[in-house]
Amino acid sequence: MTAEAFPRLSAPSAARRKRLLSARAQEILMLAPASALIAAFLLTPFLLSFRIALTNERLIPRPVPAHFVGLENFAQVLSDPTFWQALWNVTRFTLMVVPVQCGFALAMALLLNQKLPWRNFFRGALFLPAITSMSVVCVIWGTLFQFPSGPLNQILGFLTFGLAGPVDWLGNVNTSMPAIVLLSAWQAYGFQMIVFLAGLQNIPNELYEAARLDGAKTWARFRHITLPGLRQTNVFVLIITTIQAFKLFTQINILTQGGPRGSTDTVVQYMYSVGFVDQRLGLASAVSILLFFFVLAISLIQRFVLRDRQ
Amino acid sequence: MTREGKNLLARASVAALALALGGLASGAQAANLKLMFQGDPFEIGVISDAAKRFEQANPGTTIELVNTPHDVYNEKVGAAVSAKALPDILELDAPFLANYVWSGFLQPLSGLIDQKLIDDMTPSDVSQGTYPPDKKLYAIGLTDSTVALYASRKQLESLKIRIPKGVDDAWTGDEFEAILKTLSTAPGVKWPIDLFRGYGAKTEWIPYAYEPILVSFGCDLINRETWRASGTLDGKGCVAATTAMQRWVKAGWVVPQSAGTNQFYAEGRPAALAWGGHWFYAEANKTMGDDVVVLPLPKFGAKGASPNGTWIYAISKTASDSAMAGKFLSFMLQDKAYRDGYRDHSGFPGLKSFAADSPLYAPGGPMATAFEQATKTAAPRPPHPGYPTITLAFQVAMTNIFDGADPQSELTKAAKKIDADIDDNDGYPPFGK
Amino acid sequence: MSAAASSSPPAADKLRIVKVASVVAITLVIISPLFLLAVASLKPDRFQILADMGSFKAFWVADPSLKNFADIITFSGPLPFGRYLMNSMIILAFTVTGGVFFNSMAAFVLAWGRLPGRALILMLLIGLYIVPQESIVLPLLSIVNRVGLADTFIAQILPFMASPLYIFLLYQFFIQVPRDIYDAARVDGARPFEIYWKVFLPISLPALATVAILLGIETWNQYLWPLMVTQTDRARPISVGIAAFFGADSIYWNYAMAASVMMMTPVLAFYLAFQKWFVSSVISSAVKG
Repeated sequence: MTAEAFPRLSAPSAARRKRLLSARAQEILMLAPASALIAAFLLTPFLLSFRIALTNERLIPRPVPAHFVGLENFAQVLSDPTFWQALWNVTRFTLMVVPVQCGFALAMALLLNQKLPWRNFFRGALFLPAITSMSVVCVIWGTLFQFPSGPLNQILGFLTFGLAGPVDWLGNVNTSMPAIVLLSAWQAYGFQMIVFLAGLQNIPNELYEAARLDGAKTWARFRHITLPGLRQTNVFVLIITTIQAFKLFTQINILTQGGPRGSTDTVVQYMYSVGFVDQRLGLASAVSILLFFFVLAISLIQRFVLRDRQ
Repeated sequence: MTREGKNLLARASVAALALALGGLASGAQAANLKLMFQGDPFEIGVISDAAKRFEQANPGTTIELVNTPHDVYNEKVGAAVSAKALPDILELDAPFLANYVWSGFLQPLSGLIDQKLIDDMTPSDVSQGTYPPDKKLYAIGLTDSTVALYASRKQLESLKIRIPKGVDDAWTGDEFEAILKTLSTAPGVKWPIDLFRGYGAKTEWIPYAYEPILVSFGCDLINRETWRASGTLDGKGCVAATTAMQRWVKAGWVVPQSAGTNQFYAEGRPAALAWGGHWFYAEANKTMGDDVVVLPLPKFGAKGASPNGTWIYAISKTASDSAMAGKFLSFMLQDKAYRDGYRDHSGFPGLKSFAADSPLYAPGGPMATAFEQATKTAAPRPPHPGYPTITLAFQVAMTNIFDGADPQSELTKAAKKIDADIDDNDGYPPFGK
Repeated sequence: MSAAASSSPPAADKLRIVKVASVVAITLVIISPLFLLAVASLKPDRFQILADMGSFKAFWVADPSLKNFADIITFSGPLPFGRYLMNSMIILAFTVTGGVFFNSMAAFVLAWGRLPGRALILMLLIGLYIVPQESIVLPLLSIVNRVGLADTFIAQILPFMASPLYIFLLYQFFIQVPRDIYDAARVDGARPFEIYWKVFLPISLPALATVAILLGIETWNQYLWPLMVTQTDRARPISVGIAAFFGADSIYWNYAMAASVMMMTPVLAFYLAFQKWFVSSVISSAVKG
């Protein structure tokens, strides 16, 4: 026990003030590299896009230079039914993919945390989808989903003894988004899985031992030790997976381009189409800013709901 | 200074020295040309070899190759323009020529390219490199492209369907629909035709492959005199064309988007005909051998129409040495090894002499009919600066029409969008009045 | 045979068999789509791959051949595969090393520092994570061009070293560290950096491994940004290099698939090396004392 454990009875000494200052300085220095990099490479271009959103800038500079158009781009986007459909679609996607992906990732993490033979091999194999680049994933799943006689449909016919007809997974408005959910969850669950794996390491084994000695069953152990122990990890995984889900783009761009009938159109796909294909950069920037505020609101709500109540 | 910085400085000094010495030694032309292009590995190899040979033949000149994957090609061009670092020689996708010329990036090729090369161009090649307002040639290419109708000879013969001998002999619109109907009930046929919807719902394939149907019906994506879309794109001809295509889809005659793009030659041949690009021949030929027969696209009206357009070369206005750039292009397009490379990868000819050397496309060859289209029916996509908007609007309209939407209202929506963009740019003078 | 082995009850054995069996079954189902990739890379004829697509033939190869791999390795001139691989590794090494340290330092300050405004900074970071890469790529490119960093390694390393995602991840881990450990270090007179370096880093190996792995994979598969910022092969990574196989008209499926397999191998090794750090951390034993 040192003097610092007791309440201060006199003004801080000069030596102590010096130590406090240099501690503060160290903190700033430690924050500095990451902050500088993020400010330069993420914040600055993002702020720049605010400026572009207020102009009618084009992808390829024109002889007639771009000019200021105020909030016109925002008005145009907000009055476009395609934008609202994209927003609704990506919300639907998020609501479906977050529980599926995170649930499966947690299950796999729990399984792979146990002492199993060839555990490293399984950890490697089950992580393979996460290593595969999205374009390759899309080619593979595009083939699997092929209608009418792709592998998935053939398996479906086999399992139902030919009763269920082939499904046009990517071409039917009702199954298009669920199909995307399936392939997205397949590709990305690995990320959440290793975050959960890392989180599980922090839960002391002694707690499990004590519970087992007390006769607690597997489910009770899970509910009262694992879940609370994973609390911080869960908060992180839920918030991050939600944000990632709202940014859905690559698989849509490769496989469905927003179809059929806009049922898989997402906000980022809409933004890409407007900005890179139609070349209206100002409009695209407005879309990305609207998406930002929408997802920010959701993340703040999430953080509030999931906050530590102690 | 960073290691990279030192490296850069060292290299720059060596280069400067070399340039200076080279200039002193030869005393003649010494240019440093930058060439921006895209291509698959074989093209990259063929082009780099040609560049090396040119450098040897012209000491003091260097060609710097900037290989840009075609995914974000336009974006890179835009970035280069903003950075005032446009390359000297630029490859571009034909439909974007008008956009680039209007934006002031390119200069006419006359006087820079060997005249005999210009004379060697097929009418299709000329049309895609020409800028309508001044009718000057801004781009040239060894290769071109087209779309033809593929079929199985055995299947057509067994169903007693006439096989056209050439472009003049093509099926008429009515004949074509009757044939589709016949095929729909033929044994083993799941879909009479594959329009390659499998390439995607938002892809350049849609205006590329389908606009000729509209043109053959007597309409167009945009009026090429007044350069406005309303009244043309949503006119009777286009509505009739797209209604016909919608009819085929509704009847279940067209391969759906999620069935992939290999149904023409997959086991059992579920698709009887294929509306495929010239590159499709190699795929089909591999599995079906000589049974593949290549037919001209049907003519739905008085005249038939076929697509064209590929990546062609232009010289930028800010080129450091336009004469040398032109010399390089003339050299490369006539270089034997360069031509052989493309011939071996079924490059579709844009130059008449190249066609004569390609067994595939020479008269009597399996793709001769397809090549005939380049002279007789090739119709370029609208060479207009607003092409990006035109293509996107048409892609959206066509996809919706395929899905059952009303053709008239979809085309009107698309036309309005195109005209709104034109108005946004004050008519793109000198295109608009 | 020790006495211990014969003392495990048969019920536990059965449970173990069920566990192992389910892991095997799940693994097979999960990785079965990847057989398509492996099989296609062993077919030297791209037209054959096209013909087999869409049916179960895509899962089967009649005469497997390593020709695709051999061709890619010997391409050199137009497609210097070795060079692309090397570039990717350079970018990976610098990004992950810098990333692990910069992100963890920042996370430590946010979790345990005394600086005012930390909560606000954290919220700002999470907010920035929302911004999709597609919307900042073009403004960023113009910045990079203006400072003359186009077509360099630096332009591909710096933007990704620090990331809100990893700072947030490490923050969540750091705040789980029991207060006693932090206080004990402070009592010894240690200042923030020492506490971070000597105490927190060693006990956070699983979290650091997670960041290394996730950042590593993200960096390795990074495509859009390198595509925009590289012009020549000088600093081009392999993700962009193999884009040439996805041609404009006709895709060289055999090379594209084989190249993808080759691209996945180094990062798989990277993952396997780091996942060894997923062992019970010292934290759990520190709680007892």
